[in-house]
Amino acid sequence: MRTRIKAFAIILLSAVFALGIAACGGGKNNGGGSSGGSGDSGSGGQSGGGSQETVEIRFTWWGDTARNDLYNAIVDRFEEEYPHIKVKREFGGWADYWDRLATQSAGGNAPDVVSMHQFYVADYAARGALLDLRTVIDSGELDVSLFPQSTLDSGTVNGTLVMIPKGVTMPGWVYNTATLDKLGIAYPDINWTYDDLINISRQVVEKSGGTMWGTPDMGGGQLQPNFRYFVRQNGEDLYTEDGKLGFSRDTLVKWWSMWKQMRDEKLIPDAATTAEYDGVPLEQNLFVTGKVALFQIPANQIYLYEQQFQEGEIHMVRMPTLPDGQNGEYLEGAYLSITAQSKHPKEAALFINFFVNNQRSLELFKVEQGSPANTEMAEFVKPLLAAPQARAVDFIQTVIPYASSAVYAPAGATEVEAAFKDNATAIAFGQKTVEQAADDFIAAANRILQQ
Amino acid sequence: MNPKLKNALKRNAVGYLFLSPWLLGLIGLSALPILASLYFSFTRYDMLTAPDWIGLENYRAMFEDQKWRNSMKVTLIYVFLGVPLQLIFALSVAMMLNRGIRGLRIYRAIYYVPSLFGGSVAVALLWRQLFGGEGLVNLLLRQIGLPGYNWIASPDTALYTLIVLKVWQFGAPMVIFLAALKQVPAELYEASRIDGAGRWKQFWRITLPLITPIVFFNVVMQTIQAFQAFTPAYIVSRGTGGPLDSTLFYTLYLYQKGFTHFQMGYAASMAWLLLIVIAFVTAMLFLSARRWVYYQE
Repeated sequence: MRTRIKAFAIILLSAVFALGIAACGGGKNNGGGSSGGSGDSGSGGQSGGGSQETVEIRFTWWGDTARNDLYNAIVDRFEEEYPHIKVKREFGGWADYWDRLATQSAGGNAPDVVSMHQFYVADYAARGALLDLRTVIDSGELDVSLFPQSTLDSGTVNGTLVMIPKGVTMPGWVYNTATLDKLGIAYPDINWTYDDLINISRQVVEKSGGTMWGTPDMGGGQLQPNFRYFVRQNGEDLYTEDGKLGFSRDTLVKWWSMWKQMRDEKLIPDAATTAEYDGVPLEQNLFVTGKVALFQIPANQIYLYEQQFQEGEIHMVRMPTLPDGQNGEYLEGAYLSITAQSKHPKEAALFINFFVNNQRSLELFKVEQGSPANTEMAEFVKPLLAAPQARAVDFIQTVIPYASSAVYAPAGATEVEAAFKDNATAIAFGQKTVEQAADDFIAAANRILQQ
Repeated sequence: MNPKLKNALKRNAVGYLFLSPWLLGLIGLSALPILASLYFSFTRYDMLTAPDWIGLENYRAMFEDQKWRNSMKVTLIYVFLGVPLQLIFALSVAMMLNRGIRGLRIYRAIYYVPSLFGGSVAVALLWRQLFGGEGLVNLLLRQIGLPGYNWIASPDTALYTLIVLKVWQFGAPMVIFLAALKQVPAELYEASRIDGAGRWKQFWRITLPLITPIVFFNVVMQTIQAFQAFTPAYIVSRGTGGPLDSTLFYTLYLYQKGFTHFQMGYAASMAWLLLIVIAFVTAMLFLSARRWVYYQE
């Protein structure tokens, strides 16, 4: 009797196991889960499943819900065109996106096609996580013949092409015409200066009776674009070619002193308000909620901002210029990369090719993350644009001629940026003088970059 | 093989077989990753390239890392202020509910609810709304003519809003206290009343000594939990630990090191040091327990 119970238990248990393993297998096998039963999905995964081999690649991007709908639609069209390629989609907000990508890469589980950005590309490229795209260009899956050299250069790290721009964009400062009209303030000139920024901020505070600030506190936060433009205008850059800090203490002190002066004059929010609005979504930020009159964004977001306002148009001017200084401009954008771990680099390349070169994709994309880098496609989308998008393209085209090449950030740049933000915040809260903070930052940055 | 061991294995084979799903999980999902993290803690590991053995360098670097020291300080304040306050509050509410009031079950449920949501993202978001510059707290303050203050965005108050959040999640210890209070024999109170003891004296001489084992249990559990707190700081500060690192919990800094700055080796060594600290504090609690925990046997 007892042995029978034992035998029964063992059979039961093996059944449970078998089910468990089958379930795992079904989940992991490409494409098998939806069509066949667990039996043939096991064999299909090994033998290639006959003539119609389905390949699954994964594509990931950052953005808001509107962009998710848009990119899903583009991916759907790609799947129509290439029925044998299934594209699994993963997306998230900007910050979550990078945390997840780092984790996935570590686990050997990174998506095949990833959205890439200048802030982070060096971290991945320097560690060999991205595919050399020349391989898929040479084998014919990816066509970049209509991409100007400068756009390809912007995706080249240490001599290797690792990312292709979805769109190129340039940052600038925006204002709402209705807001400035109401306050009775003249619009800034496209080539305005830092002095203009301060003067207009003064007028905003004065004419709004103190209910508005001129601009948010842009002295801290991210190293680029604001501080980087200032550094480049001073003839330097954030980093040197060999990965050291590229700017002088003097430049940093000038920058933080300017923002401290504005803070002391109450032209920008106090430290606590800045901290509270740090990282809030677009529809809750200081500009959209009408607490500041001037704001810095990338040009491709002009239309997103214009949607948020009942009246007025969003106009963009260059980043403030430095009289007698150099031009700060450099090419920016959102990019696509193929991860080095990808098992299907050719299919991944076909996908990127469709995304950046095919009219069926571009008629949806328009200028979602910047003006298409493919020159023919840039012309193709022009008539499809709404007014604010057309304004963005005009702006980008006006400003691109000022752009010169920029040094890529070395590994460890995210930590340098954290030190920059910490010290700027310490000044804002009155815990450090500008000089102290500058010394502390430079010491911290040198230590980080030495490693 | 040792015949005794063989016999024991044979006898328990079915038992182990039944345990095996759980054992597999324990080994594959807990034990191996734990061992891996121990190994990584002695390496420089950026998650994308192979780890690089550097011995105790990570552990040494921690003591020179000002941010690390600060995160330890923030966490200790959170633990040693948050846990006692939370338990005192939980015990007070439990005493109130133990008075035989009507609708006890409803009150108990209501007070327990925050604990269910406590660690969640939704509550941390709610906290932002409550203590923000234009939050409810400031609204009330302005109603009674006091100036508002930016609680979550000022470095000198941000941590305390998180401690208040911790105290607010008093439900779980409260329910346990309530059960303990019900175990205190009523005749002790009657006898002491005849002897002329007031409520205050009854609490100190009867109630508290008799529930010390439960107090001890709650202190240990809540302390360990508090050391590992992550979500409130992560959500309330939007992952930054700001303003000025005033809410940079140990776990949050660990997360930043590992997942934003690609220093998984350093993060792993931080995790092991945290384990040592928690083990030490818990051991101290157990040692001290001999002096103040009273078991009735």
